[in-house]
Amino acid sequence: MNSNLFMVIAASAIFYGTPLFFAALGELLTERSGVLNLGVEGMMLIGGVTGAWASQHIGGTSWFVVLMSILIGTSAAALVGLLHAFLAITLRVNQTVAGLAITIFAGGLGLSSYFASVWNVAQRPATHPIRFLDVGGLADTPILGPIFFHQNILTYFSWIAVVVASIYLFRTRVGLQLRAVGESPQTADAMGINVVKYRYIHTVIGGALAGVGGVYYSLAIIPTWVDGMTKGAGWIAIALVIFGFWRPDLTLAGAYLFGALQSLSLTLKARNMHINGDLLDALPFIMTIVVLVLLSGGWAKKRLGAPASLGVPYEREER
Amino acid sequence: MSEKIAVRMSGIVKRFPGVIANDGVNFDAREGEVHALLGENGAGKSTLSNILTGLYRPDNGEIELNGESISFSSPRAALNAGIGMVHQHFRLVSSFTVAENVVLGDESTGTFLNAGDVAQKVEELSQRYNLAVDPRARVWQLSVGEQQRVEILKVLYRGARILILDEPTAVLTPQEADALFITLRAMVKEGRTVIFISHKLDEVMAVSDRVTVLRGGRTVGTIETAHSSRRELARLMVGREVVFDRVERKINSSDKETVLRVNAVSALDDRGNKALNDVSLTIKTGEVLGVAGVSGNGQRELAEVIAGMRHASAGTISVNEKEIPNGKVRHAISAGIAHVPEDRLHTGLASSHSIEDNLILKSYRTQPISRYSVLRRKAIQENASQLVEQYDVKTPSTETPVRLLSGGNVQKVLLAREFSANPKVLIAASPTRGLDVGAIENVRSHIVAAADSGVGVLLISEDLEELLSLSDRIVVLYEGRIVGDLPTSSATRESLGLLMGGVALEEHTS
Amino acid sequence: MKSPLRLERRLTQPKKLNWLVPLISIAAALALGAIVLLLTGKNPLSAYHRILETAFTSKSSFSGTLVSATPLAFTGLCAALTFRAGIINIGGEGQFFMGAVGATLAGLALSGQPTAIIILSMVVMGALFGGLYAVIAGVLKAKFNTNEIITTLMLNYLAGIFLNYLIFGSTSYWRDPQSMGFPTGKQLQPRAFWPSLHIVGFTVPLGFLLATILGMLLWFLYARTRFGYEVNVIADAPSAARYAGMRTRWKIISVMAIAGAVAGFGGASDVGDFRHVLDAKGLQLAGYGYTGIVVAALARYNPVSAVTVAILMGGLTNAGYALQGPNFPSGLVGTLQGLILFTAVAGEVLTRYRIRTQKSGALSEVAA
Repeated sequence: MNSNLFMVIAASAIFYGTPLFFAALGELLTERSGVLNLGVEGMMLIGGVTGAWASQHIGGTSWFVVLMSILIGTSAAALVGLLHAFLAITLRVNQTVAGLAITIFAGGLGLSSYFASVWNVAQRPATHPIRFLDVGGLADTPILGPIFFHQNILTYFSWIAVVVASIYLFRTRVGLQLRAVGESPQTADAMGINVVKYRYIHTVIGGALAGVGGVYYSLAIIPTWVDGMTKGAGWIAIALVIFGFWRPDLTLAGAYLFGALQSLSLTLKARNMHINGDLLDALPFIMTIVVLVLLSGGWAKKRLGAPASLGVPYEREER
Repeated sequence: MSEKIAVRMSGIVKRFPGVIANDGVNFDAREGEVHALLGENGAGKSTLSNILTGLYRPDNGEIELNGESISFSSPRAALNAGIGMVHQHFRLVSSFTVAENVVLGDESTGTFLNAGDVAQKVEELSQRYNLAVDPRARVWQLSVGEQQRVEILKVLYRGARILILDEPTAVLTPQEADALFITLRAMVKEGRTVIFISHKLDEVMAVSDRVTVLRGGRTVGTIETAHSSRRELARLMVGREVVFDRVERKINSSDKETVLRVNAVSALDDRGNKALNDVSLTIKTGEVLGVAGVSGNGQRELAEVIAGMRHASAGTISVNEKEIPNGKVRHAISAGIAHVPEDRLHTGLASSHSIEDNLILKSYRTQPISRYSVLRRKAIQENASQLVEQYDVKTPSTETPVRLLSGGNVQKVLLAREFSANPKVLIAASPTRGLDVGAIENVRSHIVAAADSGVGVLLISEDLEELLSLSDRIVVLYEGRIVGDLPTSSATRESLGLLMGGVALEEHTS
Repeated sequence: MKSPLRLERRLTQPKKLNWLVPLISIAAALALGAIVLLLTGKNPLSAYHRILETAFTSKSSFSGTLVSATPLAFTGLCAALTFRAGIINIGGEGQFFMGAVGATLAGLALSGQPTAIIILSMVVMGALFGGLYAVIAGVLKAKFNTNEIITTLMLNYLAGIFLNYLIFGSTSYWRDPQSMGFPTGKQLQPRAFWPSLHIVGFTVPLGFLLATILGMLLWFLYARTRFGYEVNVIADAPSAARYAGMRTRWKIISVMAIAGAVAGFGGASDVGDFRHVLDAKGLQLAGYGYTGIVVAALARYNPVSAVTVAILMGGLTNAGYALQGPNFPSGLVGTLQGLILFTAVAGEVLTRYRIRTQKSGALSEVAA
C-alpha cells in the first residue's frame, strides 16, 4: 500500500467515522444515565431528512443555511429522543421494545420516508451541502493536513465534543451525578439527585447527537436524500458504545475504525482493485459481530464500564 | 439526654396498592438519644423511615422537626434539614470510590471535582469519627462492615443531626455490631439523634434509650428501655406471649448413617473468585447441621454446589454414599436433594407464574404431571389443590401468581413443593428471613418435622438464635472455609461470633 | 417528584384488558397518524377511508390483503416466539431472506418433480436455511451471552448483502443468465408455483393457510408442552430455571432455530406463492421482518393472535401498495405501523399499572 492510498483511507476513515461518533456519543450519554436507546437509527434518519429539507428551503448565505439545517435536524431528532424518554422513563415501557418501535416508526420505511415524500426532499440535491473547511490554512500541512484538516466543520466540532464529554463525565460534579444515576438510581435518589430529570435530559441529548449524525449523512456524505440512507449506522453506533467501554475517547477511536472499513469499500472500488464489492460492504457488519463476541466472552465478562442499571426503569415507590 | 424533641411524627398514614403500610403512626425522638423502632417485618418501620427521609410522601399526618411543622418534597429536602439514613441495602455506587460516594449529591463542591481534595475531606471526617476506611478505595473492594461505615460517613458529611439506621446489624458479626453501638453512643453524646430500626430484641435492649413498638402499621407504644424487658417487648411486638424455648427434638443421631457427604469441595463465585475452599462436612439421617457465618462467606455457593446449580472446581458430593455428578441439578433432584434457596421469589419460585405452575417446577418432567412431553393440566391442578390444602397456603386460587402471596405463604408453597418429592436431604438457606413470627414458627416446625422423619437438614442462617435452637451441630464458614465445627450444646453466641469474624477459637482462648 | 401522571402497580390483570388494550392501541395510533397527516397538509379522513376501502371492504381487495398478510403472519410468528422467550430476535428479516434463498434453490433444482414434492422441499429448505441462520445469533447468545439485538440486526444487513451478491454481484445459480442489462433471478417453473385455495369466494394463498395451522401448533407448543413450560420459566425467571435444572442455553438455541425456521418458511411461501423468483431488491424493500415485530407486539406475543393481526397489518400494506401516489405518500403505511407499535407497547403499561393524575395532593383515577 503506498502512502498516498494510506492518507486517503485515513482521511476518509475520519470522514465516515464522524457521524458514527456523533450517534455513538449520544447513545453513550443516554446509556450513562441508565436509559437504553435502540432508536438511534430512526433518530438519525429523522435528523437527516429534516436537515435536508431545511437546506432546500432556507434562504441566506451558505453558512447560515448549513448551520440552520444542522440545528433543525438536531432539534427534530431531539424531539424523537423526548418521545423515547417519555416511553422509557415516565411510562416505564420495556426500553428495548420502545427503541425498536422508534426505529420502525421513524426509520427507512416510516416517518422519515413519509417526510421525504411529502416534502419532495429526495428529488433534488441539497443546495448547501456541508463542505470541507480549511481552518487557518492547516489543510496544507504535510501529511497531517490532508488527513486531519481536509474535513468539515462537524468533524472539527466532534473533536471538541470528545474532550468536553470526557471532562463532563469524569471531572465534573454533574458528570459524577449522571454516572451515579446510571449505576444506582436508588443511591442517587437517596442523595437528593433528580433521577428523572437526569435521564430525560440525557436521552434528549442522545437524540440530538444522533440527529447531528443523520444531518451529516444527508448533507455531507451524499448530499441527496435516499430513504434509509444511514444503512444501519445507528445500530453500529450502539455497538460502538460497547466497544468504547462507555468512554468518549475510545468510542471515537472505534468510530474511526468503522469509518475506515466503510471507506475501504469505496476507495478500493474507485481504484478498481479486484476485491468483491459485496464482501467489502459486509465488513462493518461482520466486524461488529466479531468485536461484540470478543467483548461479551472471556476477559471482558464483567462488562467494563457498563452502567449497572442500564435499561432498568427506576421506580421509587415499589414494595 | 435532653428532653427536647428533635423529631415528631403524628398520625402518619401511607397506603400502597393493596396494603396500608402505616395506619396512623405516632412517634417522637429526643435530641441526644438512641431511639429504637421495633417491629416485625411488615410492621411499617421502613415505610415510616422512608417518609421521614423524604423518599415517600405520607397520605396523611404531620412531621415536626425541632418543633416546626415540615413536609419534605424530596430526599434532598430531608438531607438539607439534617435527616440522614443508613439503608439496610446500602445506597452506594459500587464502581465509585469511597470519597466519590460520600460527596455524591453535595452541591457545594463546585463544578469541577478534584479527586485529591475530596479524598482528603473524607479522610478527615473518617478520622474524627473513628470510622476507618480508605477514601480512595472502590466500594466493591470493601467488606460489608466497611461499606456500612461509608454509609454512616455519607450522612455525617451532609451534617445530619438525625441518623436513621435500618437493621444495621443484619450484616455484621456480633463483635462488629458492638463496635457500631460504641460509634452510635459517641454520636448521641454530640447531641445527635439516632433512630435505630430493628426486629432483634437483644440489640434493642443493648443500644437504645427508648423504644417505640410498631405492629401492623400502628404504634403500640413507646417505653423507656431501662423499664422494660425482652419478654415485654416481644409481647408488644407480636401481640401475644412468645416463648423463648429451644425447640425440642427427639434426636439421637450418633448411630445413624451418613446421608450427605461433602468431600473437599472448592468452588468459584459468579465473578470467578474462589468462594469455597476445601469444604468437607457430613450430615446423618435426621440431623440438623447449622451453617453460621456472615453473609457472603460462601454460604450461597455451598448451597448451590450441593444442589447442583454450581460446578465444584474440586471435591465430590454424595448422597447415601453415592456420588452425584458435579453441577447437575437434575441429578441432585433425583438423588433426593431438596433446596429452599435464600432468594425465594426469584430463584426458588417463578414469582410471576401461578401457584400451580410453581408447584411442578421440579416434577414437570415426570408422570403424572406430563406425558409424551405434553403437560396434563388436570394432574397439575390436582397436585396444586392437594398441596395448597395440606400446607394451608392462604390464597384466593391455585392460579394466583406467587408474587401476590404474603411472605409466609410464599415459603409454604416452596416447602410444599420441596417436601412433596420426599427428599433425603434438605438445604434450607435463611428459610425464615423476612417472615413474621407466626410464619417463622410454621417454617421451623416443618423443618424439625422433616428432620424427625429422617431427612438430613443443612440449615444456613445468619440468625444465631435460629441456629442455636434448631441445629444439632454447627459449622462456621469464614472466607469459604469451615473454621469451626461444634455441637450446639457447646456453642454460644460469643464463640460463634468470634469464629464468624475469622478468629480461631484456640488462639483466642489460649 | 412532581409529575402530573402517576403510575400505580396493578395487583391483578383484568381479563378484558387482553382485547381492550390492542383496540385502544389501534385507535390511539390512528389518532396520532391523523395528527401527522394534518400537520403535513393531508386529509386524514379521506386517507383512512381509502385505506379501509382498499384493504378490507371489497372482496377482491380482501384477497389482496391476505396476500400481503401471508409473509407478515410468518415473521409475526417468528418475533412472537422469540420475544415470548425473552430473546429479542430482530432477525426475522434476514431469516426470511435466507429462507427465500433456500426455497428458491429447491424450487429451481427440483423443477422436474411433482408439485407436491417441490412444495415440500421448498418448505424444508426454506425452514432449514432460516433456522440455521437464526442459530448463529442463538449460539452466540447462548455461548458468549452476545447481545442478540445487535447480532440479529447485523445479520439482517448481511443477508441483504448476500442477496445482492447472489443476483447482482455474481453469476450464481439463482441469477438468470439471460438477464444482461439489469440482472434478475431465475424464474421458477409454473409447476413449482404454490396453488391458492378458494374459500367462500376469497382467494387464500396456500402459505396463509399453512401459517394459520402453524400458529395453532406453536400456540400448543408454548401453552401445553414441557418445552413451552420451560421456555416460559426461562423467560420470566431465569434464576428459577437454573434452580430447576433447565438447560437454558440449549433452549435459547432451540427457540432461535424454531423461530428462524418459521421465518424461513415464510421466505419459502413468498417465493412459492407470489414472487416465483429470488427477488433481491423486492425482498429488501418490503421490510417484512420489521413489520413482523409490530404484528407480534400487537398480538401480545400470542401465536394465534399473531396470524389475525397479520391480516390487519397486511391490509395496511396492501392499501399502501395500491394507493401509492402523490395523494398517498410512501412511508405513510410504515409510519402508521410504527405508531401502532408505539401505542401497543405503551398500552402494555395499562396492563401493568393504573394511571392516576395527581392534583394538589388528591388522587383521581383516570383509567381503571
